[in-house]
Formats: sequence, C-alpha cells, structure tokens
Amino acid sequence: MLQYINLKIDGVNIRAAKGTTVLDAAFEYGICIPNLCHVPNLSNIGACRICIVEQIVNGRSKVTTSCTLLVQEGMIIKSNTDKIRNLRRNIAELLVAQAPNSKAIQDIAVRCGVKKVRYPFRNEKCVLCGRCVRACTELFRAKAIGFVGRGKNRHIDSPFGVLSEFCKRCGACIDLCPMTITPCSGPMKPGKERLCGECESQLYLSDKTPDHCVWCELGKGFQCGRY
Amino acid sequence: MTKINTISDLNALRNKIINEQKKFKITVTLCGGTGCQASGSQAVIDALKNELAKQQLMQTVYVRRTGCHGFCEQGPLMVIEPGNIFYCHISPEDVFEIVSKTILKGEVIEKLLYKDPVSGNLIKTEKEIPFYKAQDRHLLSQNMKVDPCSIEDYIAMGGYAALAKTIFEIPPDRIIKEIKESGLRGRGGGGFPTGRKWAECYEAPGNEKYVICNADEGDPGAYMDRCVLEGNPHLIIEGMMIGAWAVGAREGYVYVRNEYPLAVKNIKIAIQQAMNMGILGEKIFGSSFSFHIEVARGGGAFVCGESTALMASIEGKVGEPRPKDVHTVVDGLWNKPTTLNNVETWANVPSIILNGSSWFASKGSKGSKGTKILALTGHIKNTGLVEVPMGTPIRTVLFDIGGGALNGKTIKAVQTGGPSGGCLPDSKFDLPIDFDALYEAGSMIGSGGMVVMGKETCMVDVAKYFLTFLQDESCGKCVPCRLGIDRMLEIITTITEGRGKPEQIELLQELGDTISQTSLCGLGKTAANPVLSTLRYFREEYDAHINEKRCSAGVCQALITYRIDPEKCTFCGVCKSTCPHNAIIGQKKQVHSIDLQLCQKCGICRSECKFDAIFVN
Repeated sequence: MLQYINLKIDGVNIRAAKGTTVLDAAFEYGICIPNLCHVPNLSNIGACRICIVEQIVNGRSKVTTSCTLLVQEGMIIKSNTDKIRNLRRNIAELLVAQAPNSKAIQDIAVRCGVKKVRYPFRNEKCVLCGRCVRACTELFRAKAIGFVGRGKNRHIDSPFGVLSEFCKRCGACIDLCPMTITPCSGPMKPGKERLCGECESQLYLSDKTPDHCVWCELGKGFQCGRY
Repeated sequence: MTKINTISDLNALRNKIINEQKKFKITVTLCGGTGCQASGSQAVIDALKNELAKQQLMQTVYVRRTGCHGFCEQGPLMVIEPGNIFYCHISPEDVFEIVSKTILKGEVIEKLLYKDPVSGNLIKTEKEIPFYKAQDRHLLSQNMKVDPCSIEDYIAMGGYAALAKTIFEIPPDRIIKEIKESGLRGRGGGGFPTGRKWAECYEAPGNEKYVICNADEGDPGAYMDRCVLEGNPHLIIEGMMIGAWAVGAREGYVYVRNEYPLAVKNIKIAIQQAMNMGILGEKIFGSSFSFHIEVARGGGAFVCGESTALMASIEGKVGEPRPKDVHTVVDGLWNKPTTLNNVETWANVPSIILNGSSWFASKGSKGSKGTKILALTGHIKNTGLVEVPMGTPIRTVLFDIGGGALNGKTIKAVQTGGPSGGCLPDSKFDLPIDFDALYEAGSMIGSGGMVVMGKETCMVDVAKYFLTFLQDESCGKCVPCRLGIDRMLEIITTITEGRGKPEQIELLQELGDTISQTSLCGLGKTAANPVLSTLRYFREEYDAHINEKRCSAGVCQALITYRIDPEKCTFCGVCKSTCPHNAIIGQKKQVHSIDLQLCQKCGICRSECKFDAIFVN
C-alpha cells in the first residue's frame, strides 16, 4: 500500500507518496520549480542545479536540489526565497551565456529572472545536462552514448568515438535535448548572440511575478503538468 | 611466521621481539620516506649495509629504514641510538666515516650535524633541534620507531594491543562513546565529528557494512597522509579494524592513489603480514570477529578524494560525486552503510583506545582536539611535516618551527587547506589552527597543507593558479562548478592581463558565493575559496591590477616591464649574453638597457644578474 507523507512547500501543505522527490511533489500541486536536467521517469543526477530549494532543518536553511531530495515527514521547503532566486539567476546566467542558441535555455533564463548576461557569450552546442545519456541508458538500455572526459573536457560521445552497434536510432536523445529547440527568430549568428527578449508575454509575466511559470518550451516538450 | 591465536600469543611475541632487538647495541635509523629517497637515501642505506658487512658489524648494529621523519628539508636523515645523534644531508661517501667514527668509537662528526640557522650553533642530538622541539609529534614520532615493512617493529612498539583490548574488553557502543568523548574530528578536511559518523553507521540498518580509508590525497603541497601510510601502515590497519569492530563491518578498503607507489607497496606488504599472523582474516585472536582489507588504487583524480566519488571509483564506476541527501553512513559503498575516514583520523584511533578519550581531549583547543600534521611548504626555511596540537597559533608554526621566510624576507600570506582553502594575511597569523577559527576566517584546515608565500607572490596570480588546478580537476558534472570556475578563471585572467574592469570584482564575489552554495559536492562548495579569501584580504592588489594596471609583486607579465638600474649595472654583459630574445642593448663598458619592444618578460636576465641591477617596474 502506498504510504503518504505530509510536508510543506512554500507554505502549502502537501501530501505526497513516499519515495517521490520534492520537485515532483511540487509540480503536482502546481508549484513551478524551474529545472533543466530533470526528466520524468528518469533518474535524477542533480547536475544543472537550477531546481535548488531551501530546506529548513532545525531552523537552519540548507540549499539543495529538489530533484534529488526525497520527501520526508514534516519537511519544510522554500522554493522561492530571495536567496534562492538570486542563486538560480546566477546559474541560469552561466547557462545562457554558454548556450544562447537554445530556446529552452533562454526560457529558463527568463523564468529565473536573468536580465543581463555579464559574461561573454560562448555559443556551445551542449550544456551537459545528461538527459540524452540517461534516456539512452535507462529507458532504452542501449548505453550508446555517455559522458567522456573530465572537467573542461567533459563531453557526450559514443564509446571510443564510434557509433555504437547498440544504438537503435530511436532518436530519444534528440527528442530530449534542450539544444534542439532553436530560438523563435532562428539560430543566432556567431558573435551576435544575445539574451532573447522577444517573447514579450513571457517577459511581462516574469517581470511582474518572478516566481511565475512562463510556459517554457521545456515544459511543452516534456510533459510539464501545465500543458 | 607464527600465527597469533590469543592475546597471550601476542604478548609473548612482543616480549620475544623486544628481547631480540636488545641484542643489538646500536640502532641506526635512516629515513626512507619519499622526501629522503628523492635526496638519495636509498644509496646511503645500501652503502651503510655494505660497510657494516665489510667491517663485520651486522650482529651489533641494527639498521632500520623507516618512513618519513618530517624534516624533509635536511634529508637524507640519520639518527644513531644510543646518544640520539642526528645527522643530515648524508651522502654515500660519508658512510665510511660514520661507521668508523660514530658507530665504532662514539665520536660525533661535526660536518654532518644540523646547524641552527638562527643561532648558528651545531646541534648534536635530534631532541634539541628547534624544528622538532616545538612540536608535539604523537603520530610522526611513531614513524621513526618502525620499519614500515616489519610487523615485528610495530608489535614491539605496542602495536595491535589496542585492537586486542577492543575485541575482548570493549563492546562497540562503548568504543563509539569513547571516540565521541575524545572529540576526534575528521582530518580529511571536513572536520566532521568521527564519533557521530560511527554512531550513525552503527545505527544504520543492514548487516553488511564497510569501512574505508581515504588515502587519495591530491592537494598541491600536501603529503601527510602519504607519509603516515608509507611510514606506519600497520597503524592504519589497526585503526580501521577498531572502527570496523565499532560499526559492525567485516570488510574494509584502503583507497590510495597509484601515484604513491611506496604507500601502495607498504600497505600491501602490511596487509599480507597481518594476514599471515592471523591478525587480519577470519576469527581474529580467536574471537568471533573477522575482517578483511583490500587495497583499491585510484587513478589520481582530485575529485576522487570526495567520499561519494571515491565510493563510485571503488565500485568500478566513473569517479563522480553523487548527491548526498542520504548520507554515506546509511547509503554508501554498494548502497550499504559505510564509514569513510581519512588516513590521519584512522591513525589517531588506536592511541585513543589505549590511552583513553580524556588523554586525547586534553590536547588541542575547545572545538578541535588532538594533534594535526601539517605539510609546511613554500617560501619558508624549514619545509617538511609538522605535528602540533590543535589550537597552536599559525605564527608559532611559521616562525618557531618553520624558521621564518626564506632569505630573511617577510611572509605575505599562508595558504591553508590546499586549493579549496584560503589565503590568510599577516594580520591573521595569530589565529589558532582550529577547524572553526580558520573556517570563520574564510579558510580551512583542510587536509593540512600550508603553503607559505613571500613578498614576491602576486595574490591574483595565486588565485589564478588554484583556479586552473580546480578547473582541471573538476569532474564537470554540475553547472556551478564546471562553468562557474571556468568563468572565474576567465575574469581573473583578464584582470592579470590588464583588461579588468572594476565591476568584475563584484561579479567575482557574487559568482563565488553562488558556486559555494549550490555546487553538488564538497569540492565545488569550496572551489571559490581561493578567490573569495584573496578578495577579502588582498582587495588592494585586485584594485591595483584593475585601476592602475600594476602588479606590485612583479609577477603578472602583461603588467610589468623589466628595467636596468644604471647605477648598479657593472656592464658585465651577462644579461646580454643570456637574453634569448636579444632584447638587451649596450656596448662594452657602457650601461646596458632593455629594448621593451623585443623584451618577452621571461625574467632570465633578472635571475642571472649578480648585482641586482635589473628590476621590475
């Protein structure tokens, strides 16, 4: 029989099945915690750190990712404090500076309140969220791609750089990749990358209520409860 | 080899070994640690053994090749008992003299004695050397008494007595209570109370539990774990066994990096010896307790020193940390409760059991008990391993033990805790070496590395160096650590190249804060410390780099120019002939000058000039 656990997220009393993550529990109640590397039904690795929340333990707050945190009885979670919004904005800024050519990431930046990017744009093709690797490994058991290298050299590749025989060409990796969603106005030219501000409705929403769902492209493609 | 089946067997063996060792009239202790080996101690040991055999002294002189003594600066080192005569900088050519004079006649050879750089006096015995005198060498002194490859030496010193006491007299919950009361905190860097960790692991459900010794030491300039593991591997084995008894584990791992070949070799020999004697294995000392240890070798990734990454590495997976929302004491190696401690932590355990928790708690400060081994390196006179009680002021370590800065210069800063620690300025040297005090000052004890920096060090360049190290060693899994360090390095590089902007300092601070709060593992959480601490204490250097485009230490190449002082120049022409870029102009018997267009700022001329005529602008 399912066991249920009571916790509080942003002051809302929440009842969630034992074993669910705080992120999933929040979604179920319509609390939008922005996220990138989380995919429903895949394991969570806590790599993008966008979904951070504050957990209050004995009066002291601890910053942790909601996707890896399992619900516990009496837990108190705050997903939308000033501190968390600041940290999230800084992480989103790092991400969007790295890969401005993705609408999904531009959406996250808007959602997290990034108004200005203080780093030079880089226009990389991958942000190493690891969605593709986990889909390939866990859903299709193919292990046709994986992480290679460490630190700055970390990248996604097939084993030994050769297309694996186990690749079923299912395309799940492409479906889940946030980089395959190009900005509305098309790919940005090298050297002309910018923070996308063209979706006025989104900006309007995020300006007025910084914690609000902006109906992000990731949510649309990846079965967010809102769509 | 005799098997030990009961405690009385162990005691009988100990007495036998002690009696056997008494036959030797003279004991010569030679340091065979990695530091002294690099200075050529192996050749000295071979020469000594040859010479003793030639003069037929092998029956009266016992040569013991031990682990690191700590005073690596003066290696190779030799101590001759009785008399406690201390010789340093020995070469194989000196061996004949040592044998014929000191060993046969008891005469002291003056040229091999240690000369105190402060008073200029020759010091005859080891005990009188100021470097050793000011320390409390609890762990390191054991290194000097045992041959790491000889279990007999360790047993003669009283080894495995704590284990025997544990198994037959103390139930696990009392061991944990004892460790808790001793106030022992993890020596690997985190400073987590060891007793609490053991208690949580003891209470965790499951029959299958593990203990791990973390010997994956990767900080630049730190080598204390290496020396303890190389010099006294049985101490670690005993400590781990006591821990295993306390938490209920039957298997243990020593995770040691393959770059420490001597440590790998010695711990493997020690495990084999203990197995042969029946100290490790099934039904130890005839009790119901069984324990096995395996050696896992690491590939040298800095991140594998982090507990979850280390466990992943032992499991055969990629050495990457994972979220620790459930602690490793509950869900660790192969998802079983696991107690992971640093080498030095394990090394402290046997003596706590033997001497009692109050003995251990009597040393140290309020929040940090016991002694700590520090690796003193950098611009300081006496480099080497130093063991002091917790709570000793940094100043004591730097000046009383370390002897002050090299060449009589001043010490500008000291970096504690390796790349994840911080740089402390002169004004903070009165702080005690204490987990909480250093943490509040924006640094940490870390594993115990202490890199001393003199006046000619640029703090922005130091931050850049550590960021480069961390960028290489970051696993790259989480965004703040991978991209954050990369961007910090990018900003610092622009500052050192003279393209910095004032608002970048604020950005560095904000970014550093974000990295330390949101990173996945402990390494990421402390990765911003080098930048944050230098910003906190050496802000004026950053400002000088940005606003005045000036590097006061003369390190950042883009911001300096080399010039020749016409009053000091003696027209010797050395600079002109050594300059690889032909940038120095000047005829014979005329003052030379540097063509700034051609100068590549390599600094060769400055180091070659004997008259200090070349200076940095």
